[in-house]
Amino acid sequence: MTTVSDQPTSASSTVGRRRSTTEIEQDTPQWRKVLTSDPAARVTSLLAFVLFWVVVSALFDRVPGPVAVWTSLVDEFSRGEVFGNFGSTLYRFGVGVALATVVGVAVGVLMGLSQLSRAFLESPVLVALSIPAIIWAFLTVMWFGFGDTGPIITTFLTSVPFVIVNVAQGVRGVSRDLRDMSATYDVPMGRRVRDLVLPAVTGYIAAGVRFAIIIGWNGVLLAEWFGGGGGVGYRARFWYDANRYAGFAAWVVLFVGFIVLLDRFVLDKAIQRSFRWRDAR
Amino acid sequence: MTDQLVMGPDTGPSTPAAPDREAAARRTARGRRWRRTAVLALGWVAIYAVWEATSWWFGSRLLPRPHEVLQSAIEIIETGNFVGDFSASVLKTFAGFGVAALVGAPIGYAMGRSRYWRAFFHDGVTIAGTIPAIVYAVMSLIVFGLSNLGPILAVALVSAPYVALNVAEGIRGVDNQLITMSEAFGRTPRQIRREVLVPTIVPFVFAAIRMCFAVAWKVEALTEVFGGRSGVGFQIRTEYQLYDISAVLAWMVLFIAFMLVIERLVLAKAESRLLAWRPEERGAAL
Amino acid sequence: MAVLTVTNLSKTFNLGTARESRILDDISFEVSGQTFVSIVGPSGCGKSTLLNIISGVEEHTSGDITLTSDAGGPARMGYVFQDPRLLPWRSVMKNMMYVQDDQSRDTVARAERYLDMVGLKKNADFYPGQLSGGMQQRVGIARAFAVEPDLLLMDEPFSHLDAITARGLREQLQDIWAQSKKTVVFVTHDVVEAVELSDRIIVLQPGGLIYEDITIDLPRPRRQSDKAVATLQADVLARLETLKAMAAAEPVAEPVA
Ligand SMILES: Nc1ncnc2c1ncn2[C@@H]1O[C@H](COP(=O)(O)OP(=O)(O)OP(=O)(O)O)[C@@H](O)[C@H]1O
Ligand SMILES: [Mg+2]
Repeated sequence: MTTVSDQPTSASSTVGRRRSTTEIEQDTPQWRKVLTSDPAARVTSLLAFVLFWVVVSALFDRVPGPVAVWTSLVDEFSRGEVFGNFGSTLYRFGVGVALATVVGVAVGVLMGLSQLSRAFLESPVLVALSIPAIIWAFLTVMWFGFGDTGPIITTFLTSVPFVIVNVAQGVRGVSRDLRDMSATYDVPMGRRVRDLVLPAVTGYIAAGVRFAIIIGWNGVLLAEWFGGGGGVGYRARFWYDANRYAGFAAWVVLFVGFIVLLDRFVLDKAIQRSFRWRDAR
Repeated sequence: MTDQLVMGPDTGPSTPAAPDREAAARRTARGRRWRRTAVLALGWVAIYAVWEATSWWFGSRLLPRPHEVLQSAIEIIETGNFVGDFSASVLKTFAGFGVAALVGAPIGYAMGRSRYWRAFFHDGVTIAGTIPAIVYAVMSLIVFGLSNLGPILAVALVSAPYVALNVAEGIRGVDNQLITMSEAFGRTPRQIRREVLVPTIVPFVFAAIRMCFAVAWKVEALTEVFGGRSGVGFQIRTEYQLYDISAVLAWMVLFIAFMLVIERLVLAKAESRLLAWRPEERGAAL
Repeated sequence: MAVLTVTNLSKTFNLGTARESRILDDISFEVSGQTFVSIVGPSGCGKSTLLNIISGVEEHTSGDITLTSDAGGPARMGYVFQDPRLLPWRSVMKNMMYVQDDQSRDTVARAERYLDMVGLKKNADFYPGQLSGGMQQRVGIARAFAVEPDLLLMDEPFSHLDAITARGLREQLQDIWAQSKKTVVFVTHDVVEAVELSDRIIVLQPGGLIYEDITIDLPRPRRQSDKAVATLQADVLARLETLKAMAAAEPVAEPVA
């Protein structure tokens, strides 16, 4: 925006003249337009990150640099450790989050619709929200030993409260006005659920599930870290205990890469779809 | 959450012409409030019952019963050395928070104000926000080894993306009309920042802080479990290695209670003071 | 007092994919001295856009705008927007003081005086959210007066108010204007209002051309009930009738060549 010429700060001249957009456009050189474009910004940010990584790894000799991590990653692939461990983590995580979604949506809808059930469930949900994942990991390892059950239960228990809270909020957010409007126009119940409640809530379910997924990853990795039953967490711990941090970092890169792809290409799309009505305002 | 529910059965102003109806309405309101309190208590009873049942199922060695945990908690409090560990953990949490705010808020501000910086930071910040806390915890330990800096770094790494995203969201929600108004009256950029931008983002920053705080102290404890020399997480690891599960749970319960109190007292108070201008109550914030 | 010169001003909004719409098309006019100019024209013809460009909050596509204070020193500007535009987190009084350069006691007294003029002295400590829409609009009016500007821009300031309040404020506006020698650019829908207040009426037509530039030469103070105002208003309205037909026919958005 051009500056307002009669600002008290620029009191030197009493005559103000403002430049038009055509003039400004003509005065900007081409190279500046290219360098300040969005794709250029993204590339610059990637380069800055790599540079940052290299600098940090040079400063702290315990931090592995990009090259060391890449070599360990290739090693791990050639040892054939990647797919088996990744597979079992995914399996545990998938079952845990699926359970959390089903239970969370059911309980959340209940809490959103009825005052009494909300009063009843409020404290348990609050308590569940505040128990750290590490405690669940400790307990389930003791309870269920080194199998799939411990990580699954940990994932479920850490993520289910977040789904509940989001869904309950969504159901309660179905606007009072719209409900009243439907009542005055005598909209039939089936259409009310389909056109009013469901579209309003799916966005919250999607957002809750996404949050549950972030929390759930933490749960499954922790349980595997302290359990002995294989998986990404187990393997990462193996390298950490061996003081081979490049191996640990390789797993982090692999895992974060996977999460990012999942988030970008599956969850984001789903959430955008279900919140479409809201962004169209 | 609680205050919202209490507001429900409030009876509005009534006419003096109908004292009976007014009294009746007040009676039903009181009845409803009573029932609510009873159900709320029932919720706590349910927690207790589930705990008892589970520890009966697994045996009290694998899940100590509530009164055993209570006993351990009393022991911890009686010996009095919990004060040092608690304050260590709380200080590290707030230090990490401070670092996150110092780094995250300017990044968020730049993202909200300029298209270039939005494109520059957006991907990195969202990715950083989806990385599980355990990764940050172990990474901080690798960088700093066994020291107090590890937990602080972990808290900062977990919180900074939230702060940045919320501040950016807040800045972008700034009413453009207020900015043009300020420009028309010749306000300086500094005045616009102080009077328009900052008040707009305060609610967003609070949302970020409250959301973060719940996550932050858990990450802080987690990092201490992995490699701390003091703090609640350190105690939890020590007791776990001694297989004293009831002490582990006692430390956890005490810490949760302590953090909830801090959240309610400090954060909620500050928030309601700063947001007094808002005409309507905020929705259930969790 | 200020001299405002607008030369060959054009404004084009970019509507995204290869479409743009020209709102103002090569407009030139000059306002100087103690002049009260009204701008009228059908809804959507670009009156608010023109004021925004004059005030500097909107950029123009081409052409020239200069603003000169003829008293020496920078020209001060006041703007009553079409909507109130108050800071919701500041009280009414703080909103008044926000746009003031000095925060001295005199300035506070002046702000209070103008707040009293619009009948809101009691509400100085209220937050905007606690006022009605019309009350907020009146705060906006008081705020613009309180900076005692050389150039006062007003965008339909009275259209949200009830008839009695609006009439009172119109009379106040005439008094203030007569005393303080401001240059006023006033946008309105209401031809009676325009005739009552202005020395000059600029009529914009859809497509952003100046349709007519009418000089009103009636003795002041004027009231809407004056006979002369009524006759002149009928005359101006008759001239605007032809505009209506054009408003229906004019295409707004055109593809870029
Ligand atoms: N940001 C924008 N982008 C695209 N078009 C715009 C924008 N702002 C305004 N316009 C268009 O400019 C035209 C003029 O708008 P403006 O607000 O100046 O009208 P107006 O004459 O003040 O109307 P009214 O009397 O109803 O207030 C309208 O057709 C509007 O659609
Ligand atoms: Mg307008």
